[in-house]
Amino acid sequence: MNAAPNILRFQDVTVRYGRQPALQDVTVDIPCGSLTAVLGPNGAGKSTFLKACLGWLPLTRGDIRIGDAHPQHALPRLAYLPQRHAVDWDFPITVRGVVEQGRYPSLRPWQRFGDRDRALVDRSLDELGLACLAERQISQLSGGQQQRIFLARALAQGADIFLLDEPFAGLDLLAVEELARILRSWEAQGRTVLAAVHDLEIARRAFGRAILLATSVVAAGPMESVLTEANIDLAFRRGKGASENPLRMTRTAEFPK
Amino acid sequence: MSFHDLIVDPFSFGFMQRGLFSALLLSLSGGLLGSILVLRRLALMGDALSHSLLPGIAVAWLLFGTNTLALFVGALVAGLLTALGSALVSRLTRVKEDAAFGALFTVFFAAGVALLSRLPARVNLEHFLFGSILGVSASDLRLAALSSAITVIVFVVARRSILLETFDPVFNRATGGRGPIVHAGLLALTVLNLVAAMQTMGVVLALGLFLLPAVTAYLWCDHFALLLLVAVAVAAACSFAGIVFSYHSGVASGASIVLCLGIVFLASALFSPRHGATARLVEFIRERHSVHRSAD
Repeated sequence: MNAAPNILRFQDVTVRYGRQPALQDVTVDIPCGSLTAVLGPNGAGKSTFLKACLGWLPLTRGDIRIGDAHPQHALPRLAYLPQRHAVDWDFPITVRGVVEQGRYPSLRPWQRFGDRDRALVDRSLDELGLACLAERQISQLSGGQQQRIFLARALAQGADIFLLDEPFAGLDLLAVEELARILRSWEAQGRTVLAAVHDLEIARRAFGRAILLATSVVAAGPMESVLTEANIDLAFRRGKGASENPLRMTRTAEFPK
Repeated sequence: MSFHDLIVDPFSFGFMQRGLFSALLLSLSGGLLGSILVLRRLALMGDALSHSLLPGIAVAWLLFGTNTLALFVGALVAGLLTALGSALVSRLTRVKEDAAFGALFTVFFAAGVALLSRLPARVNLEHFLFGSILGVSASDLRLAALSSAITVIVFVVARRSILLETFDPVFNRATGGRGPIVHAGLLALTVLNLVAAMQTMGVVLALGLFLLPAVTAYLWCDHFALLLLVAVAVAAACSFAGIVFSYHSGVASGASIVLCLGIVFLASALFSPRHGATARLVEFIRERHSVHRSAD
């Protein structure tokens, strides 16, 4: 067995919304236990890429494999994190209540929420430092803590592949650092993370690998080989040579010394 | 007036007992369903749905009389036609779904009123719209018991799917959940319970028995299970109070129950300790005060 077998493979994948292609001839391999950012301008197909991994979109052409299985048969291995604004934070539910949801898909209707489920929930809450906040209603937490609730739910699912849709959107600087640290520790534990990210600077610092999309793949591989001036120019301006370098347009996330 | 006169006397009549039991049974299912409708932001759609049932009920009544199964099927067909019709209109034209729903349900409601106004004189349009506790028959009570039992069973069996689909439909789908089935099932249950509540409450007011307890509980509870329990308790308590009030005052039973619920809701909206208007206002003023202080 290889050191890092490819866990997620896109083979010549094309997805269309109507006549408009959202992904065109995408062929990429994502190694097991890697931290990969899916990058690209608005409308480049970042969300489509994640949804295709979940098997939600009919493929016009091509094939997606998770391990050896079709996405539909690998759902228990996948955890999908929604964007933060998609959540109703006023919902009458506690932090623990949300994390417990991670166990629901594997429980039959007549099964009780057992000791093993409870242990998994406790462990997930512990790992993300939410144990002392577990009984709070979810709106009473800060942005970064709210993000961690859903990471904990994903852990409780027992998944090993994590699909994150814009996890850094709307987080303050401290929360961004915190999330980056959590993702790196997940990588160290052999978990595979795939995240749609629009901020190139954050992606450069938090992720080891990248896929740069502009409907088709512009570049894929280790971060430094993907985020070259030429590639960024190609993805963001289709090589038309506009005035600004988008790397310089992004905000810098450094603390003043 | 003694306690006996106030509370016990009214229920010495068989029809009052039937009315009370039917209202309590529907409080159980209505509290559960209403909570989900409120949390899924479908409250207004439920209201529109309740109006759109009328032509189905009218046609069923014309063809089969007071056969409850026929009434349910008629109502279900009318409700589904409205839901599917508005979905189709929004897909095929420029009109958005909420506007399509609003347009269709008024047309359906008008058709129902037109049909019912052409019925033989002994049937009263008001009876369908606002209900009458005097008319709750043994078969109406059976229908209420049946729809309440079905609702509770569905909620027990599908409790996790219902919570997942309500809180996070995307997660539910990503983990292999069947969202559309849960959604359709909840709509069918709503129609079933609306039909069952028609005799006591009328189609228009019945939704008040579903929604008001839920929004009241929403102002008090931060736990999903607790919210369902409180909603059911509020519905049951106000049904009882409303029926007693209706007996002594002569006010129509449906209106009386909904008014009781309205009072409890208003009081909660004003004075709920965490989510009420007063508490929020006090907090707002206190915050401004402390900002001024620290600025000095």
